[in-house]
Amino acid sequence: MTQTPEPTPFTQAGDTRTSAKISRDTISAVSVAVLCVLLLLSARLVSPALGSWTQVETVLVLGFFLVVLSYGQGLVILSGGLDLSLPATITLGGILATSWVGANDPNAWYLLPVVLMICGLVGLMSGIGVVWLKVPPFIMTMAMSIIVASALLGYTNGTPRGAAPTAAVALMKTELLGLPTPVIVLVAFVAMGWLFQSRSIYGRYLYAIGTNLDAARIAGVPVTMMQILPYVISAMCAGFVGIALVGYSSGATLRMGDDYLLPSIAAVVIGGSSILGGRGTNLGTVGGAILLTTLGTIISALGMEFGLRTVIEGSIVLFALLLLREELFQKLRNLWR
Amino acid sequence: MALAQFEVQTVPAWKTLLIKSTRGAALIVGIYLILYAFYAYQQPRALSASSFASLMNNTAPLALAAAGQALVVISRGFDLSVAGVISICNVTLAVYPLEGPGGALMSALLCMAIGLTVGAVNGVLVAVLRLQSIAATLATMIICQGIALVILKAPGGSVANWIADEMTGRLAGVIPVSGLVVALVIGTWLLLRRSNFGLSLYAIGADEHSAALSGINTRRVRFLTFVIAGAIYGLAGFMLSAQTATGNPTAGTPLLMLSFAAVALGGTSLSGGKGGLFAAVMGAAVLMLLQKVLFSFGISSFYTGMFQGVALICAVVFSGLLTRLGEVK
Repeated sequence: MTQTPEPTPFTQAGDTRTSAKISRDTISAVSVAVLCVLLLLSARLVSPALGSWTQVETVLVLGFFLVVLSYGQGLVILSGGLDLSLPATITLGGILATSWVGANDPNAWYLLPVVLMICGLVGLMSGIGVVWLKVPPFIMTMAMSIIVASALLGYTNGTPRGAAPTAAVALMKTELLGLPTPVIVLVAFVAMGWLFQSRSIYGRYLYAIGTNLDAARIAGVPVTMMQILPYVISAMCAGFVGIALVGYSSGATLRMGDDYLLPSIAAVVIGGSSILGGRGTNLGTVGGAILLTTLGTIISALGMEFGLRTVIEGSIVLFALLLLREELFQKLRNLWR
Repeated sequence: MALAQFEVQTVPAWKTLLIKSTRGAALIVGIYLILYAFYAYQQPRALSASSFASLMNNTAPLALAAAGQALVVISRGFDLSVAGVISICNVTLAVYPLEGPGGALMSALLCMAIGLTVGAVNGVLVAVLRLQSIAATLATMIICQGIALVILKAPGGSVANWIADEMTGRLAGVIPVSGLVVALVIGTWLLLRRSNFGLSLYAIGADEHSAALSGINTRRVRFLTFVIAGAIYGLAGFMLSAQTATGNPTAGTPLLMLSFAAVALGGTSLSGGKGGLFAAVMGAAVLMLLQKVLFSFGISSFYTGMFQGVALICAVVFSGLLTRLGEVK
């Protein structure tokens, strides 16, 4: 009789039933989507050239990089880690694609996947360091970032050479079925990502690990593998972004990835994920990435200077954080009932 | 019986020695001395006052950034705004140079005020509004970087000559001024460490809940931590400007990762409650000295990062092993 569980501690610890969870995630995903649309429509008031379908296409093409990148970052954050090695891995993908594969290499069809696998190797090393050497993710991925960046500096002697592979250019600059190819690839990518994160057993495992590692281990989740996997996926996503970036801008630079680290984390946070892991959806992250990109294109179309644009971006992250605070959701839920 | 059992379980002498000799900052100081010996062996000039001073000048900004970061990390937080504060201070000094000793003092105070302000914002966000420190400071850092870009669009401008000359010079031809500034911060910390604030800082880092239950005003301590750390970042920005003598809106960015690296090298656990400012400063010193040593061995500066990264991982793994060794007792 003494074993009878008390219901009160559960309600105090926050309602974790599916209905409550869905409402929280839906609120953030829907609010981000609504914000996006509102932004695009209100931009129309400022200038008729904005808010058109062409601009939506531009936003999607530009958002391609951030969406892919923040998907990987989102998985790592979901599992309770953080990936700071993204800039170096993007640069690794970009530089290998230009200097090593090059423009008209007939072997590109298997060399580009090899590039992705090399990037995945970087993630594998981060993951192994985190799980087996027990180095905190923050430190491990930061160290990998420093190491890879310096290796690239040495490999290129400071000046990257070579041109983008034809396949990468084709990926970014052609049209398919009347839409830009990157938009179609993006939709496919998001669909696959959603299936993996929200509908597969592995996605469930990641949620379990991010919520409580020990509980997940006891519940029979293969924790070692599932802790390493997000880093590998994240690094491969970054490598893919690197290849796509050189396809878009036709050349690699040693600092091409630097501007993407903070937005990748920001997109995940705006999308409603907890930075501590175990919570968040990839659709929210996609929304966050698109929102950041929309904002960026509108601000640059308005001719605002880069500094102000950065200030606004930061304020939006802050705003999202304040909005997504736990207490607020608790209050909203109480109002609902 | 219990006593006898305890005797059986005593740690072998070498283990106790190992733990004792690596406690606190001893390990990192030892590494520094060994590295310096290598450096002096390769380049006998390294022992002269002028080359020591230039090493100090290179180290001071990172050392200060790491010192502030260590404060926040001890309280179990992360502070990414360090890069933003340093950038704002740097561009401010480059756009509004104030000449003379009075101007330098004003500049230093201005930098610290900038740091205090940003720190106060961080403090409110983390301590009062209960945001995750890493996410909140990410936002403030992005905003700070934007402000730095608004103040100065592209690298340029020049810092007041007095600051650039005197703050990188030597007092009485021997003592580097930059070293004195760092020593001042460490001295303040040593006074502060045993105070109520210092003890509360460690208590919060180790276990916030218990700290709150034992009567510590966790909000106030957390807020103060960010504010003090911000002021130290301001000083770091001041010293960086003195060293580079020019303005760059992204001056602080490289220091972000390195400040964490220095803190971790100094043995401060990222999960809070452990470590110290002096160890973090020495960690920064080791990172900068490593560059010089590698250069003196003829290794291209391209590969410095590789060694820094590997050293960082090794240090964290090693200090983790030592901690576990200490717990086995």
